Amino acid sequence: MAWLHTWAGLVFGWLLFAIFLTGTLSYFKDEISHWAQPEVPVRAVDARASLAQAQAYLQANAGQSPRWFISLPDAREPALSVMWQDPNKSGRGAFTRHTLDPQTGQRVEARDSRGGDFFYRFHYQLQMGYPWGRWLSSLAAMVMLVTLVTGIITHKKIFKEFFTFRPGKGARSWLDGHNAIGVLVLPFHLMITYSSLVIFMTMLMPASIVSRYDGDTQAFFNEIYPGNQRLAAAGQPAPLVDLSVLYDRALQQWPGGRIGRVAVQLPGDANAQVQFSRHEGDTVSRDAGAAITFAGATGAVLELPRDSATPMVVAGTFYGLHMGLFAGPVLRWLYFFCGLGSTLLIGTGLVMWLGKRQLKHARSGVRPFELRLVEVLNVASMAGLVLAVAGFLWANRLLPATYPERAGIEVDSFFIVWLLSIVHAAVRSGSKAWIEQLGLAAIALAGLPLLSLLTTDHGLPTSIAAGDWVLAGVDLSALGCGLVLAWVVMKIRRRTALAALPIARGARTRASMPSEVH
Amino acid sequence: MLAAGLLSYAGFSALCLAMERHHQEMLGRRPSPSRKVQLRVAGWALLALSLWVSVLSAGWAMGLVRWTAMLMGSAVFLVWLLPYRPRWALVLAAAGLLLGLLAAAARW
Repeated sequence: MAWLHTWAGLVFGWLLFAIFLTGTLSYFKDEISHWAQPEVPVRAVDARASLAQAQAYLQANAGQSPRWFISLPDAREPALSVMWQDPNKSGRGAFTRHTLDPQTGQRVEARDSRGGDFFYRFHYQLQMGYPWGRWLSSLAAMVMLVTLVTGIITHKKIFKEFFTFRPGKGARSWLDGHNAIGVLVLPFHLMITYSSLVIFMTMLMPASIVSRYDGDTQAFFNEIYPGNQRLAAAGQPAPLVDLSVLYDRALQQWPGGRIGRVAVQLPGDANAQVQFSRHEGDTVSRDAGAAITFAGATGAVLELPRDSATPMVVAGTFYGLHMGLFAGPVLRWLYFFCGLGSTLLIGTGLVMWLGKRQLKHARSGVRPFELRLVEVLNVASMAGLVLAVAGFLWANRLLPATYPERAGIEVDSFFIVWLLSIVHAAVRSGSKAWIEQLGLAAIALAGLPLLSLLTTDHGLPTSIAAGDWVLAGVDLSALGCGLVLAWVVMKIRRRTALAALPIARGARTRASMPSEVH
Repeated sequence: MLAAGLLSYAGFSALCLAMERHHQEMLGRRPSPSRKVQLRVAGWALLALSLWVSVLSAGWAMGLVRWTAMLMGSAVFLVWLLPYRPRWALVLAAAGLLLGLLAAAARW
């Protein structure tokens, strides 16, 4: 069992590290997106008034469109965003999205950026075409589940060493740390890994749907999400009722709740329909049936929220737990730290794999190519990825706000920095590569608030004075991450200096190699 | 949420003290067998109390999620603090117990 843990963990560890780090960042997806578009003004949230503004804007700019989508602002995402379909086109390219000032309904000319959405999409699509990225990340999740279970089985003293962490003892400490994070945060590791498979279950295990619906999987989805079905136009014009009136009636379904999205089909037609969906952050479990549909011309209720079947509730709970949309600030940070815990679990595993084998070869003096390869990939997949994230954020602040194709260049910067980190890691020796890449990442992240201050009108003093704690929070968190990384770099430097002393090296070799590392 | 976190920290500290090695580390002597049982019962009781407080204040769905999050957070904090400042961990556990009960009474 131990060999499975060791080798599955190594082969998928690099990919899993990237999936978990970008996933962890995604808990602050909306916050990072707001930071990436500081031009979007923050207003007191009044979803009802914003909806009226959105309706007026769409009426004036997309009156002929067959479909409108309105995302209402909330405390995390201050933007009011509207999207509509071009009447003469279909498919993905047919949709136009505009960001509106939630108070005035004027279009906001914010810088083009994918913001937190980039990390979110990368987390499960890995920048690959549909559906390959999803399959690869699902495979990685399956392997993660295997390493978690084999890890539990091979961990002989799971209860005896439940509270054990012995720092400052070389490899012993790494194993303690790996075990402690693994065991203490185990509920999160298992939940997040298993739920990721549940989220893609209709893609991963379609057999029951295919057989039940004679291969027509779309029929299954139409039954679950009836609001997504296309309507036929009556051809008779009929003005759309005031959406804010429907908003009040929709909210009666969920006292104390919020409305997240409003979808309008065939606005201006006698057959128009308006669907209000409950805010996904209102409940732990995601409920596909939490929507109410009105006739757009008369305002009559067409369909009330439906109770979901038990299997859907179970799946929805896993989905909701994975996304954590319901989490307030404290719980959101705990989610973030749990995500970091999983990331560190993978990272410590990769470092230990190499450390154990390097120690063996240190005596013989020859270092095989495989070990060097693992070393380079370790540095690039961990330190290089952090550096690439910093590169993405720097590109957002350095590129002029109106630069053409700037969102694409931001993404390119991420991958170029990541590629360069592989080259750098291949050229430099192991510890030097770690120190230099993490050191640069520390400087870049800690310097982010300063860069924001210099290149935008939304530096820390301005955002704090305006009470925009989402924007200030991202700047301050980047500073905090930079400081933590700087501390890590100091630790590595001290250890490398210590290891250079021949006496210390001998002492460590003898004293510190625990037997459970395989 | 605060109350649940403080109580689960106190609970884990008691469970930790119930183990000979950690008892020695923090208090400098071995626990008697009856003391070990007392600590173990107190520890589990505090964890259960923290679950009850959490569910009472936020309902089953949110309460369970918050409790699990606090459980993991407090355990990681304790295990990290223990080797560096064992006495602090103990003092904090006592403070956590008192403040946790107060916070629970005040419905935080």
